[in-house]
Amino acid sequence: MMHNMTTHLQSKGSTAVPSTPILSVKNLNKSYGDLKILKDISVSIKEGDFLVLVGPSGCGKSTLLGCIGGLTEVTSGHLRIGGADVTHTDPAKRDIAMVFQSYALFPNMSVAENIGFGLEVRKVPKAQRDEKIKQVAELLKIEPLLDRAPAQLSGGQRQRVAMGRALVRDPKLFLFDEPLSNLDAKLRVTMRTEIKRLHQRLNASIIYVTHDQIEAMTLATKIVVMKDGVIQQVGTPREIYDTPANIFVADFMGSPAMNILDAKVTMDGSVARIEIAREDGQPPLVLHDPAPSAGIVKRQGAALKIGLRPEALTDLGSRAVHADQHFDCLLDVVEPAGSDTFAVIRLGGAEVTARLHGDADVRSGETVPICFDVTKISYFDPQSGERL
Amino acid sequence: MSAISRSREKWVLLLPAILVLSFITVLPFFQTLWTSFTDAEITAREQQVNWIGLENYIWALTDPDFLDALGRTLYFTVVSVGLEGVLGIAVALLLNQQFRGRMFLRIIIILPWAVPTIVNAVAWRLIYHPDYGALNSLLLQLGLIDSYTSWLGDPDRALNMVILADVWKNFPLVAYIALAAMQTIPGDLLKAAAIEGAGAWKRFRSITLPWIIGPMLVVLILRTIEAFRVFDIIYVMTRGGPSDGTKTASFYVYQEYFSYLRSGSGASYAVLVAGISAVLILAYYAGVRRDQRGA
Repeated sequence: MMHNMTTHLQSKGSTAVPSTPILSVKNLNKSYGDLKILKDISVSIKEGDFLVLVGPSGCGKSTLLGCIGGLTEVTSGHLRIGGADVTHTDPAKRDIAMVFQSYALFPNMSVAENIGFGLEVRKVPKAQRDEKIKQVAELLKIEPLLDRAPAQLSGGQRQRVAMGRALVRDPKLFLFDEPLSNLDAKLRVTMRTEIKRLHQRLNASIIYVTHDQIEAMTLATKIVVMKDGVIQQVGTPREIYDTPANIFVADFMGSPAMNILDAKVTMDGSVARIEIAREDGQPPLVLHDPAPSAGIVKRQGAALKIGLRPEALTDLGSRAVHADQHFDCLLDVVEPAGSDTFAVIRLGGAEVTARLHGDADVRSGETVPICFDVTKISYFDPQSGERL
Repeated sequence: MSAISRSREKWVLLLPAILVLSFITVLPFFQTLWTSFTDAEITAREQQVNWIGLENYIWALTDPDFLDALGRTLYFTVVSVGLEGVLGIAVALLLNQQFRGRMFLRIIIILPWAVPTIVNAVAWRLIYHPDYGALNSLLLQLGLIDSYTSWLGDPDRALNMVILADVWKNFPLVAYIALAAMQTIPGDLLKAAAIEGAGAWKRFRSITLPWIIGPMLVVLILRTIEAFRVFDIIYVMTRGGPSDGTKTASFYVYQEYFSYLRSGSGASYAVLVAGISAVLILAYYAGVRRDQRGA
């Protein structure tokens, strides 16, 4: 049964022209009076993509989702779903389904009626409807709940029903608006895995809004980072993590955040020499990046910002490979977190977090050798914050 | 404080209310009940009051004029409450939309309800006036009628005209309660229904109406109880006329009691009307219970 559903959903996808993006947003703007919420948004996704819109609250990500869903009228720009222009199309006719943060289950209907609502509206015969409801209930493991009222369900169960209501119609595009935000921490992780599994199994095209960068990293095939109504970066989770487009993205994505510190960069042949000031009159710390990006060469001698992920600063342990770039550092604060131990060091005018091994035997106030991995260093313009 | 003294305290606190209610409600009710089994009349001379058992009731239930009045009351109740429900919900749906001047409209819409019934009745009697009424003038100018009409002078039409005046006064209450209930509908529900493909009518039927049905049931049953006892608007507008065309049950009771001064028989009519009202009140409580279960 489950297999049937999978193939059914996939077969529908294969009928689309492969080169046509399932969703394309072009130069989309949204304003309320003088207040611009979305500024010139352009993004597209392919069939089977899991696009996550992420950003701090108020960045416009939910508004963008509302525009895609047809719940919010756009001010200017174009929207295409499956090749068809839907910029001003009624939400009902966009062939989309949406899962809301509040679940938005219809309180006066049973679970089965909730799941089947869209089919009923579309006048699908009852027998066929019941069959589809049963398939989806099996897929989401909610068959015993079909006769219950939403009020009798737990948060996690409601979440499943809301997903069932979206899945049953087999739409071109799924929209998820912070679907896990109302769940407790443990359930959130479970449901996250489940959503990922569903995506892999059904090869569905999904747009998912969240403010949680871990959700974004774990779920997405493609991430859009937004701030103040402007797209900051579009890329795979790996690209976003390793090569953030600017300091905002570097700081927002990843936990703990990327360390951003002041540095002076000069070129020594093809090797970048990075000088980082230290406190208490200690001599500056000097790193060597053998393969700096091309943009650095032009900026040599200038003061820049550099970004280093916490895992690029670690105790010697197994990282003997980079032992040539290690320095004795005073650990200001030590925070053991089980699998890792985080240590705060004062460097380059900032508090810098280093990710040490979980079993590192260190204490606050100790000076220990810290190894710097320069291969994933990011350089930023100190004024604009843009990546160099 | 022990349970016993606490329960005594409860009764002490309730006592003033119980006393007042006894004198203004309970006592008169039993007095009316007793009178309804007698041949009492309101008269200046010394009168012998005789217990005549169920005779008044047999008379009332076989009195074609009273049964006609009951039928008219039923018609008045069903039509006016029905229209108030439909109009109230329709206006609430309108007031729940985003548009310029919504706040202003929300405020003025309550005015008909805020006006006392007597004032409303007098105003409508003027509007309907055969010689200088605004309705005649309006319809004539719109070309809908050829000459001025006596709206309240036609026994077949008068009741409908009174209903119109009653609906005008009472629909704002229904609209306000419907609007208040609609404003508690989570926006996501309607959005979800729209995305699922439901059009405006389907969204109303599947989401809005089930959501507001509890409060609607309560206000409409309250309106039903009120409408069934309708008296004041009829007293002012038509006095039950013409040709008894607007004579409702309460008005019939009033006439029997205070015009014909037959207090025994009038009391029996009153008890019958009260009995029917009691059934409606029980229905109201059943509705309230249903609403609470649903919530």
